[in-house]
Amino acid sequence: MTVMTINVNGVARTVDVDPATPLLWVLRDVLGLTGTKYGCGIEICNACNVWIDGSAEKACHLLMKDVLTVKIVTVEGLATNGVLSKIQQAFIDEQTPQCGYCQSGVLMRAAKLVSGNAKPTDAQIDSAIANLCACGTYPRIRAAIKRATGQAPVK
Amino acid sequence: MTDQLIQNESEPVNSGFSRRSFMAGSAGAVLAFTLESSMPDSVAQAAGAATKIGGNLTINADNTVTVAFGGAEMGQGIMTGLAQCVAEELMVNWTQVKTESAPWAQSYITGGSFGVRANFLAMRTAGAQARDMLIAAAATSMGVAPSSCSASAGVISNTVNSQTRTYASVAAAAALLTPPASPALTPKANWRIIGTRANRTDIRGKVDGSAIFGLDVQVPGMVYAAVRHSPAIGGTLAATPKLPAGATHVINLGNAVAVVAANSWIPLDYCAIGISSTSSTWRDGIKWTAPAGAAAMTSAAILTTANTLMASGTPGTPLPENIGTAAATYTAAPKKFEGTYQVPFLPHVMMEVPNCTVSLSANSAEVWVPTQAAGWVAATVSSLTGIPAANVTVHITLLGGGFGRKIEQDFVAEAVKVAKVVGKPVKLFWPRDEDFSHDQYRPFGLIRVRLGMNASGTPTSFQARNVSVSPLFQRGWIGATGNDNVDGLVGTPYNIPNKLVEFVRHPSTIPVGFWRSVGESMNCFAVESAIDEAALVAGQDPVAFRRALLAGKTRELAVLNSAASMIGWDAGAPTGHAYGIALATGFGSLACLAVEVSQPVAGSLTIHRACMAVDPGMAVNPTQVEAQMQGGIIQGLTSSLWGKTTFTNGKASTSNFNNVRLMKMSEAPVIQVQIIESGAEFLGGIGEVAVPPVAPALANAYARLNGTRVRTLPFF
Ligand code: FES
Ligand code: FES
Repeated sequence: MTVMTINVNGVARTVDVDPATPLLWVLRDVLGLTGTKYGCGIEICNACNVWIDGSAEKACHLLMKDVLTVKIVTVEGLATNGVLSKIQQAFIDEQTPQCGYCQSGVLMRAAKLVSGNAKPTDAQIDSAIANLCACGTYPRIRAAIKRATGQAPVK
Repeated sequence: MTDQLIQNESEPVNSGFSRRSFMAGSAGAVLAFTLESSMPDSVAQAAGAATKIGGNLTINADNTVTVAFGGAEMGQGIMTGLAQCVAEELMVNWTQVKTESAPWAQSYITGGSFGVRANFLAMRTAGAQARDMLIAAAATSMGVAPSSCSASAGVISNTVNSQTRTYASVAAAAALLTPPASPALTPKANWRIIGTRANRTDIRGKVDGSAIFGLDVQVPGMVYAAVRHSPAIGGTLAATPKLPAGATHVINLGNAVAVVAANSWIPLDYCAIGISSTSSTWRDGIKWTAPAGAAAMTSAAILTTANTLMASGTPGTPLPENIGTAAATYTAAPKKFEGTYQVPFLPHVMMEVPNCTVSLSANSAEVWVPTQAAGWVAATVSSLTGIPAANVTVHITLLGGGFGRKIEQDFVAEAVKVAKVVGKPVKLFWPRDEDFSHDQYRPFGLIRVRLGMNASGTPTSFQARNVSVSPLFQRGWIGATGNDNVDGLVGTPYNIPNKLVEFVRHPSTIPVGFWRSVGESMNCFAVESAIDEAALVAGQDPVAFRRALLAGKTRELAVLNSAASMIGWDAGAPTGHAYGIALATGFGSLACLAVEVSQPVAGSLTIHRACMAVDPGMAVNPTQVEAQMQGGIIQGLTSSLWGKTTFTNGKASTSNFNNVRLMKMSEAPVIQVQIIESGAEFLGGIGEVAVPPVAPALANAYARLNGTRVRTLPFF
């Protein structure tokens, strides 16, 4: 066990864990930020996506010792003072989530996409949203991204 | 205000309140009501389990209302759909409505697409009773007759004086009144909320990270446990392993080892190592004793047995359907078709792994669990601890997918056993590879369909024989000669005068369970593929062939014609593309799916469009109907193309998303949904009916594309 400090959603958080613990389990079990999900643990499903210095990464395989100097943003950090970001609101407006379990990871990637791309194309959406969703919400994810970027509803 | 609880303490009835009593409550005036529910027809019959259920309607101090149900929210919008029915009659605005889960004593099995459809009238009646009681209390308070009062947005006004009362201000007084036996229900023409695209109540928490699924539960003093089962189903631990570094407990559960620690990672890291395919040992030298009869749990042997049973097995009794003289008619038929279709064991693949949090004390227990069967959870806890079920509190969390898997009690029982050893609250969860390798799979089966036709190609007989592993038999709900897995074979809508349906039980001990759309998930593939194949024998167009067989069946024809027209059937597919169509009836709904496919390279299939016409009777919430169609189509495509688990000596082929493929965003077709409300105030289920037509529509399109008939799922 080692006392370490990480920056999560703009706040310095001090934890005492094994430095080889994946960030996912520190966020969930230690910090109570359970919005970030466990889906596969082997870097395939993207349920565990967080932002590391602004890029969407898989928290199931990022070790604590490797995230000590970066800025981490989780789904809980997408809203500002309780006001949802545009993409989150679009997910509500399009009624995108079904069970919702994969949606935190989806949102991290969708939010990233719309922050860097004013009008993502269908092909760009396809490649950005690499998440697995067992409920099949893909059409509504696409619609939400289009809505958030002021584009005509898709297809 | 004085908080009051009206509690129904009579035998439940299926129409809102019955008798009442008073109790001090803390959450405003609470009105309890009861509902009828049901499991899938086949399951309910076997289990004798048409459970009475209930809910609570709370008028909150801020004049909002909270509707609590004992159902499981898996993303199908059940809470929203039921609350829409209550809110309609209660005369509140949708923005005033919140939903939550009710305790297990009011809960039921969430399955069979019954959630909303079983309770449509009961929910409306409950809302109307509450409305009339609130109006009566307000009338007294305002000194006017109830007949001069009306309610809107949770406020009661009258035509005599200028006074008004909020629901909150009269709720306590209303709770003292006797519920009216038959309150007036709002006519359909005046509905404000039923039938609208009301936003779901569970969505906000799912976009800001605050939604609590089972795996997210944290209770004070809790420890974490993960399990590893014998790689071969039914095997046992040869010895208890030594305590892993960092763990507090290693527990021999017989067929599994559980590891407990202060966080999830230590047990997960220990338990989630990939299964060695070559040895019976595992990390730290854990040895498993192979199960008896392991060799029989091998897919090739299971198929051989199935073929034998197809040829010469004895059908269950009584015959599930036996109309006319199907066998003799087939024998004498001048034209005929026979095809045998094969469907695999199929994992459920829900994104949230099985998990359960248990806190035990001397004579009570508290459980937090993503379950489709909260009542069974209480029974499981009680049987393992001796704690009376009445002292077991079950908190139904959100479910990160269920699809039938979270009815099961295996993971609940393990959590209870571990909690007993540890003496602290425990959250037990399965690593992903445990989920995919120890599921209770959709049954493997063979389905043979025979269609006899007259000289002009009109079908005169329909025979179907389903040989498959039986979830009902494995649970002891039917005997050795009982029937199972015939949903989708019995009662096909086609006007064929002679029909014979048989079930032959396959004795495999691979654990099987209920998978979204249960029997329909296997049988619709066989029947709707066979109809297309028979049309080919008859030299007829598949849509025209179906139309002729559906003469007089207005609802069926409407969805068939709608799907055909959406895809552009009559105009024909673009060069290099093909269309396929299939019709599913079940759960009170009808769904006809037409797909457009092409095969740019061998070994793949591109699905361009999927056009679904669905008749759910009446759509309580069109957005949710569409969402269920979209999701069901995508799940159906995933399972048709890639879904299967095979076994070698009891060891599953599936472990994680490296060998279980889900359709991705880039692979999903454009989906068009047409809702056809057949008009009556009748609700069909919508959670399952989208799945069954997908596999046959795809196989029919594939056959038309390149002449190759796929009779064995999955495609790839
Ligand atoms: S849990 Fe990290 S990618 Fe699946
Ligand atoms: S919404 Fe359920 S897995 Fe995506």
